[in-house]
Amino acid sequence: MDDKNQKHDVPISGHAYDGIEEFDNRLPRWWVYMFYLSIAFAFLYFCYYSLGPGPSPRQVFVEDRAAIDDARAAAAAAAGGDEATLKAAVKDSHEVAEGAKIFAQRCTTCHGDHAQGNIGPNLTDDYWIHGGRLTDIDRTITQGVPDKGMPTWGQTMKPEEIVEVVAYVRSLRGTHPAGAKAPQGELYKGDD
Amino acid sequence: MNTAAKMERFSYDDDVVKKFTIATVFWGFVSMLVGLIIASQLANWRMNFGLPWLTFGRLRPLHTNAAIFAFAGNAIFAGAYYSTQRLLKTRMYSDVLSRAHFWGWQLIIVLAAITLPLGITVSKEYAELEFPIAQLITVVWVIFAVNFFGTLLRRREKHIYVAIWFYIATIVTVAVLHIVNTLNVPVTFWKSYPIFSGLQDAMVQWWYGHNAVAFFLTTPFLGLMYYFLPKAAERPVYSYKLSIVHFWALIFIYIWAGPHHLLNTAVPNWAQTLGMIFSIMLLAPSWGGMINGLLTLRGAWDRVRVDPILKFFVAGVTFYGMSTFEGPLLSIKSVNALAHYTDWIIAHVHGGTLGWNGFITFGMIYWMVPRLWKTRLHSVKLATIHFWLGLFGILIYITSMWAAGITQGLMWRAIDASGRLVYPDFIETVQRIVPLYYVRAVGGAMYLAGVVLMIYNLWVTIASAPADQSEDVFEAPALNAVDDPSADAQAPHRVLEGMPVLFTALSLIAILVGTLIELVPTFLSTEYVSLNPPAADGTRMINPYTPLELAGRDIYVREGCYLCHSQQIRTLKEEYLRYGEPSRVEESMYDHPFQWGSKRIGPDLARVGGKYPDLWHLRHLNNARDVVAESIMPRYEWLLTDKTDFDILPRKLAVMRRIGVPYTDADIAGAADSARAQAEKIARGLAEQGGGKDLADKEVVAVIAYLQRLGVDLKKYEAKQAAASPLSNGDLASAGGAQ
Repeated sequence: MDDKNQKHDVPISGHAYDGIEEFDNRLPRWWVYMFYLSIAFAFLYFCYYSLGPGPSPRQVFVEDRAAIDDARAAAAAAAGGDEATLKAAVKDSHEVAEGAKIFAQRCTTCHGDHAQGNIGPNLTDDYWIHGGRLTDIDRTITQGVPDKGMPTWGQTMKPEEIVEVVAYVRSLRGTHPAGAKAPQGELYKGDD
Repeated sequence: MNTAAKMERFSYDDDVVKKFTIATVFWGFVSMLVGLIIASQLANWRMNFGLPWLTFGRLRPLHTNAAIFAFAGNAIFAGAYYSTQRLLKTRMYSDVLSRAHFWGWQLIIVLAAITLPLGITVSKEYAELEFPIAQLITVVWVIFAVNFFGTLLRRREKHIYVAIWFYIATIVTVAVLHIVNTLNVPVTFWKSYPIFSGLQDAMVQWWYGHNAVAFFLTTPFLGLMYYFLPKAAERPVYSYKLSIVHFWALIFIYIWAGPHHLLNTAVPNWAQTLGMIFSIMLLAPSWGGMINGLLTLRGAWDRVRVDPILKFFVAGVTFYGMSTFEGPLLSIKSVNALAHYTDWIIAHVHGGTLGWNGFITFGMIYWMVPRLWKTRLHSVKLATIHFWLGLFGILIYITSMWAAGITQGLMWRAIDASGRLVYPDFIETVQRIVPLYYVRAVGGAMYLAGVVLMIYNLWVTIASAPADQSEDVFEAPALNAVDDPSADAQAPHRVLEGMPVLFTALSLIAILVGTLIELVPTFLSTEYVSLNPPAADGTRMINPYTPLELAGRDIYVREGCYLCHSQQIRTLKEEYLRYGEPSRVEESMYDHPFQWGSKRIGPDLARVGGKYPDLWHLRHLNNARDVVAESIMPRYEWLLTDKTDFDILPRKLAVMRRIGVPYTDADIAGAADSARAQAEKIARGLAEQGGGKDLADKEVVAVIAYLQRLGVDLKKYEAKQAAASPLSNGDLASAGGAQ
């Protein structure tokens, strides 16, 4: 190998350790420049981000969070489970079927395979802890009941998906599944 | 040289080198076998076998400790004892100390292999071994140091060679790291709590953890490389100047880089920045070692084609160069935001350990064993097959883990236009990479198969060695008998090489500078304590754990939950969406030890308190598949039958108070009763919901109490603040990570 850094082919005299000798080649230039460059980068980075105006990760985060919160608020305002939408969905077999899929994926863990109730309450009877109107169910799913372990699904599911789940849940009314959990909450017999 | 100097006769203690070599091979096999087992546990949870001592959380520390301290450790000692005697032209200072070192170290390993599967752990990564074993490590390390420095002082070679410099830096720095990071206060013989908590504990741990990589897996192996590579290549070292510059730059800079394990966390930004920029500056000093190794082979490249030993060295040094490029890359805050907690880090680590430490060790062993046993290697061909199996094993391993890490990292951060996570269910991101866990296990199995070939090859080699294993006798003049007429004309560093005591002192200073600048401010800082004063009504923002929660926390530590679940939400928008507000330093201020974790095989738990009902946790711990269909978490059935030790709690609280947690006398005296009462309440609730009877005195209830507490104090505090004044969310969050 041809090497510009190779000063001589004779090892340094007096440097022999158990037969290991050493050349006195100078430091490879590219290596030296790489070292200088990394030091310069480190210095400038520290000056800008720790002494100067550079934002800290937390400051960047606070801005990001504001943008995210705005986007979520806008999305929530744009779509939603108003009464008319929900009522229409209940009658739409496609939406009910879509809701069933989501329910199987996200809800059966706590409410049981047939919504008979398990960790969470039975959803097939006429008793509702947080209200039995369609809009009540939509709100309960969207906002969750964090104190009791019901997640705030509005943070993970789209509003139209929640509408589908509400439609599916309403379709289960009076199905009397096996092993149904005892009724909890207030009686609600209404249709909206 | 004064030819009139009286020649002295001496021999080398190669028996202890043989012992360390055999131990290296044996523990190497064990550590890699355990690695293969835990790799398959991630591919298929059934591989946990439902046995407490075989679960991932208990075996993973065994794998890391065995790989680092048993395999690499014994390799270091074997190579250092072999090379030090020859480089200094003297026998080791004391045969008795050499044997005490050997047997002491093996005892430590055996104790680790027994205690870690039993769940006896401090839970600080690579410093898991409990109090008595940690003390034993200190004793054995001091024995090694006395033996080494005694040898250094009795040397017959005036100047110390670069390999010796690296051994010196290793011995001094590992001593400092180990002592500071194991400042634990015992509760019982096998249970202790670190004196540091939260942020301080995190800073100390990763100062240690990162420099375990630096001064246990890097500097000693550079020392081995500087001896065995030129010996095997029969070529002079490329550049003496480069040795000097990269040695001092490496040890000075390395020690600063620890906080790059804590980027985008609650750690103050100045410390994060120092961790990052020193990692960037570390690239050139690291590559200095690679260059000096590879360029030493100039004129010997034709032999690399036929000699498996040189193949191992070339590949090993190249992996070193690759890992030390990847390290600085990963320490850039924005890159780290993607890679941290993912399998990318696992890929990075194994490039270093399997590629660099493993291959340097194998090359060294194949070179040394025939010389130690005065024979020839049984089969060069088998050694060559070992090399190729190992190389392809590593490549399969790291490419699969790169793919897994980057895939999962990208899924975690995917956010749609409406500000929602695209993959809100953590399990989706796990399912996606499970196939890659199988691929990784295949790569690991190939690497292990290579080691098995090596064991066979060495076995036959040693079995066919001649019966006469007597020590060769050498001659050299005593050091003080040698005149050095050129002493006046020598460059300063050359003079220093003749003064090992001063050399050692300067090495110590070099590593203490970064240590003091990074750690002392966090020790002295009352920043996060002052953020938690009692309010007018006597309540605090963050309160100590109740006795039952503390009992649950110790079970969480015992089961190694921190190895798969972090408790540190980073200042990233995707983490805000998935887990909630970023973690604040106050939240872990009573955590001895901290449980921030370094890997998310499962989701973060910093805010899991109140997220699920107690019954959900009960089902999940009993069999995670009951509530998360595709979960890969092991079953923890024994938590439902084993009983919580309530009576130890007063002692635990008393120790916690000694190390700064504000428990009152009444808290301590009533700890057991308080815990039983809280457990009764949780158990009643579980029974009412159909969770089962008689759970109050079972460990699962304590664990549930702990999990339900995580992140709750801050939520309560924020609710209270919001009620008291309409303070904006942003003000609160920014207070936590104040610089």
